[in-house]
Amino acid sequence: MIDFENVTVTYSGATAPVLRDVTLHVPEGELCLVVGSTGSGKSTLLGAVNGLVPHFTGGRLAGRVRVAGRDTRDHPPRELADVVGVVAQNPSATFVADTVEDELAYTMESLAIPPAVMRRRVEDTLDLLGLVELRDRPVSTLSGGQAQRVAIGAVLTAHPRVLVLDEPTSALDPAAAEDVLAAVQRLVHDLGLTVLMAEHRLERVVQHADTVLWLPGGGAPVERGEPRVIMARSPIMPPIVTLGRALGWSPLPLTVRDARSPARALRERLPAVPAATPAARLGAVVGSAERLTVRYGGLIALRAVTMQVRAGEIVALMGRNGAGKSTLLSALTGLVTPASGTARVGAADPRSLRGRELTRNVGLVPQQPGDLLYADTVAQECTTADAEAGAERGTAKALLQRLADELDTELHPRDLSEGQRLALALAVVLTSRPPLLLLDEPTRGLDYPAKARLVATLRELAEQGHGIVLATHDVELAAEVSARTVVLADGDVVADGPSREVVTASPIFAPQVAKVLAPLPYLTVHDVLHNLDVA
Amino acid sequence: MNNALILKPRALAAIVAVTLVGIGAFTWPLVLGFSAADAGHAHDAPWIFLIMLPLLLLVVAAEIADGGIDAKAVALLGVLAGACAVLRPITGGVTGVQLMFFLLIPAGRVFGPGFGFVLGNVAMFASAALTGGGGPWLPFQMLAAGWVGLCAGCLPPMRGRAELCLLAGFGLVAGILYGFVLNLWFWPFGTSGTGAGAAVTFVPRAPLVENLHRWLEFSMTTSLGFDIPRGLATAVALLVVGRPVLLALRRAARRAAFDAVPEFAS
Amino acid sequence: MSHLPPPPRLLHPAAWWLWALALAFASMRTNDPLLLLTIAAVAAIVVASRRGRAPWARAYGLLLKLGLFTVVVTMVLQILLGARYPGHKLFTLPSVALPHWIGGISLGGTITGEAMLNAFVSGLRLAVLLACFGAANALAHPARLVRILPAALYEVGVAVVVALTFVPQLAESVVRVRAAQRLRGRSITGLRGLRGLLVPVLEEGLERAIALAASMDSRGYGRRAQQPKLARRISAAGVLLGLGGAVVGTYRIISADGQKLGIALLCSGVGLAMCAGFVAGRRVHRTRYRPDPWRGSEWLVVGCAAVVAIAFALTVHDPVTTGVALAWPRLRIVPFLAVLVAALPAVLTPEVPSGQPKARAAVVAERVAA
Repeated sequence: MIDFENVTVTYSGATAPVLRDVTLHVPEGELCLVVGSTGSGKSTLLGAVNGLVPHFTGGRLAGRVRVAGRDTRDHPPRELADVVGVVAQNPSATFVADTVEDELAYTMESLAIPPAVMRRRVEDTLDLLGLVELRDRPVSTLSGGQAQRVAIGAVLTAHPRVLVLDEPTSALDPAAAEDVLAAVQRLVHDLGLTVLMAEHRLERVVQHADTVLWLPGGGAPVERGEPRVIMARSPIMPPIVTLGRALGWSPLPLTVRDARSPARALRERLPAVPAATPAARLGAVVGSAERLTVRYGGLIALRAVTMQVRAGEIVALMGRNGAGKSTLLSALTGLVTPASGTARVGAADPRSLRGRELTRNVGLVPQQPGDLLYADTVAQECTTADAEAGAERGTAKALLQRLADELDTELHPRDLSEGQRLALALAVVLTSRPPLLLLDEPTRGLDYPAKARLVATLRELAEQGHGIVLATHDVELAAEVSARTVVLADGDVVADGPSREVVTASPIFAPQVAKVLAPLPYLTVHDVLHNLDVA
Repeated sequence: MNNALILKPRALAAIVAVTLVGIGAFTWPLVLGFSAADAGHAHDAPWIFLIMLPLLLLVVAAEIADGGIDAKAVALLGVLAGACAVLRPITGGVTGVQLMFFLLIPAGRVFGPGFGFVLGNVAMFASAALTGGGGPWLPFQMLAAGWVGLCAGCLPPMRGRAELCLLAGFGLVAGILYGFVLNLWFWPFGTSGTGAGAAVTFVPRAPLVENLHRWLEFSMTTSLGFDIPRGLATAVALLVVGRPVLLALRRAARRAAFDAVPEFAS
Repeated sequence: MSHLPPPPRLLHPAAWWLWALALAFASMRTNDPLLLLTIAAVAAIVVASRRGRAPWARAYGLLLKLGLFTVVVTMVLQILLGARYPGHKLFTLPSVALPHWIGGISLGGTITGEAMLNAFVSGLRLAVLLACFGAANALAHPARLVRILPAALYEVGVAVVVALTFVPQLAESVVRVRAAQRLRGRSITGLRGLRGLLVPVLEEGLERAIALAASMDSRGYGRRAQQPKLARRISAAGVLLGLGGAVVGTYRIISADGQKLGIALLCSGVGLAMCAGFVAGRRVHRTRYRPDPWRGSEWLVVGCAAVVAIAFALTVHDPVTTGVALAWPRLRIVPFLAVLVAALPAVLTPEVPSGQPKARAAVVAERVAA
């Protein structure tokens, strides 16, 4: 269905090609997962499938790309709209129409499909993707998972034979991700669609894939094969594969179910109570909420929430989208006014703090770290941060170098990769040395190496005495770094305690290792291996 | 300059034609010296213009689109027009278009005169749609804003501080003239009843020079209080924030790669 | 056969706009305060019973307020500037002559009842005009007009739709960036605040535009059918000829030596250019999903509009400028009844659906208001 013959892509102005001599064939009806770290050419590969590369982006494509027999050389993207459906990384940015129903019809309108057929296909698609109750909704009011499904539906109505998905679940909470993946599964199984999907969060998708396409980057040849075969070699892998590889399990497990039976022996070897990790030295309370209630109009976002963060501690804040995580962080930075109760940073009410007083008490890295940045270059951003914090010249730059080395400081902040941008925002916030550091969904769009680096950074910061709160959907990250987990649901705190206890008790927030080893309270691969050594 | 939207000769001819009709529609109160026999048409002239001008604008839009507005240009048009349309109510209250020009002028400068013209039109329409302010004044506003965007795209090439001063100067002039010109469309309706003796009202059958004089006085005494602040605000905003805005637009133009030529090799 | 009320639906937007245009035309032809007030009342009745439940339906009220403001301004201007109107004296203000370089206007003087009445009527006429278009905006949002544009205007229509879809996201990104500014300890007021707000918001919007363009490109935007060369030539000639005619016609109207010919030239020129540009000019190869239907109710609305326009064109010849006498106006039966006919759509058209309005603008307007 998709054929690449010796494809080499070089963007104009670039010295080295992004893709070099790629030859591959994806047969009809296959779900092919594209794996690679940032900068390995994943986006270019996906873009080349429907000719956006090079028709839209410019640049030079050597070789030949054919989809359903059509050569992208002679068919620009618009002429391929009826065979390839592309869903971009941030679907809500790509909506053309205003309501869900019109958005679903948009592609068909461009293809001049007769009105009667359009109507029927829209109804079919609404049913197929479970969007019926959303049909009249303005697209701007959709949640992340809904937007993703509408975006898939919007290309599906043209009845394409190939679906290209770029990071369909990386911004979603676990439940919404399940919905989207279930919908994709159904398309592959019932309609025989060929799907090419790129995704950083392998733990969510690898078990659904028929084949995996591994892009090592740096000009090395791409590999395509069975998920188990590729996962056995790839440096990028989900925790369950890491565990299987470390313990030499064969066949390599890809799902919790695969891993349960070889884990039986392991559970017997592991001590029932893991060796206590050296407890962090906890300092004074750096942030707290006392019976905090926040309302938005008639909606209660937080209901009498009480919690504390001490210096040197990392707290994971978990819960569904809309459970109140971001509101709690906003209250701790004084961005929202509580209806009752108090929020404190140090000893002060954050709402009374302005300018440096605020930044020296609390720092927040928002969901989109780019919001914090507004200078023209990275270097300039660092100098401004120094000046604003009243810190010594070069403080921010030194911090940045620790968080992300090899960063060209003459780049524009918007041209950085997600990981680099997060590092820059973090460096800017840390320049004021706030005792309380808040992070809202820091792992969006981060690949495994960037995530590993974030984990190391957070641990180091906690050791230096920062109190850290991490609002996240990423259960693996939370299990990795946090000693304590707070779970919010519908504005209430429903659990607050050591991560080991809170997380293993929940089917949604448990990391893969905990699911494999339940009922033993182990959270990470490192956890398991360490205790095996001890035993 | 990145020409995001290339005007073909026919589109250019259409713009010129609608501009000429627009000037006629703007200035008829000044020059119309109808005879007694034709007095009945004093009613008709403004109506004919009010109906014909939007239709002509549609023809112009069709001609520009016929040259092809590619996906990149349409998306940028939409996003920038949305931003302009939001800037208008936020910053202006009843009279203000000030900060709308402040985005329109750099956009015309960076993306070229054709883009500037269409952006002015679309932004005004979107703004009216947003606030529920559609009416006979809208085509005049669209045309005038289109001129502002088009002229911004035709300013001489300069860089750095000189460029900012050039844009600010243009913003000042455009901000004031825009108000003066728009006064024309309703001046004869709005004030003609106030009596033959009034100094600033439209008097049919009066010679051009006298009416021009009256119109200037009308503008001076009524809207100048809004127009000068608007022109000044545009100029100051361009001086202070113009550089990063230009940079952002130029970066977008680079990323959009309007001149990108796909190359294929075997 | 029982007469069930027609099922609720939104009427075709063009019907309401034609209806409003006819009322506006009527309001500009008269200087009779009774007729003017009747027109405003009729518009209000129809708006009250047939507007949607979305926030933009407030447009009538907003424009009516703006209209009342113009009435006050006109009268104040009259007192300050437009003195020396013969008639019944009301009061006298001290007269001040301004220096010659600003035109030698003199302020103040004797104010007469006729002067005030005429100022009121001329302000009222503008206010009623504003109210008519407020009614059009309230009854059919301008964005719905974009949906009925001919195929030749497709690209421009898409740009408008994109702009309106973008606005709620813009509002959201403004809120986020303001919060982020506070987090960095920056002031959010003044020009520095504006820079810190505007630049990230603009950058984000432009990034979004590129992503959107890629998505539109891969979803078939810009597919077009090939056209025979002859058809293109003919349409080009037609457009240019029509535009030329329009320009010549305009200047004939202005120079006043043959206005009728000028008007005919202008109208036929525009008509020719439109036909040539839209019909023969090009075929954008696309279809329309669930287009607004045009049924009996739309004909009824347009019919009522035609009654008003024709009645006023034939029976009302009020001069634009000549003063209104200071006397109780006599009710003119024919135009008055015609205006009442225009109120019929308030009861005879289908009701507005009670559910969620099917449009973006609800969210847009709320966020802008917030």
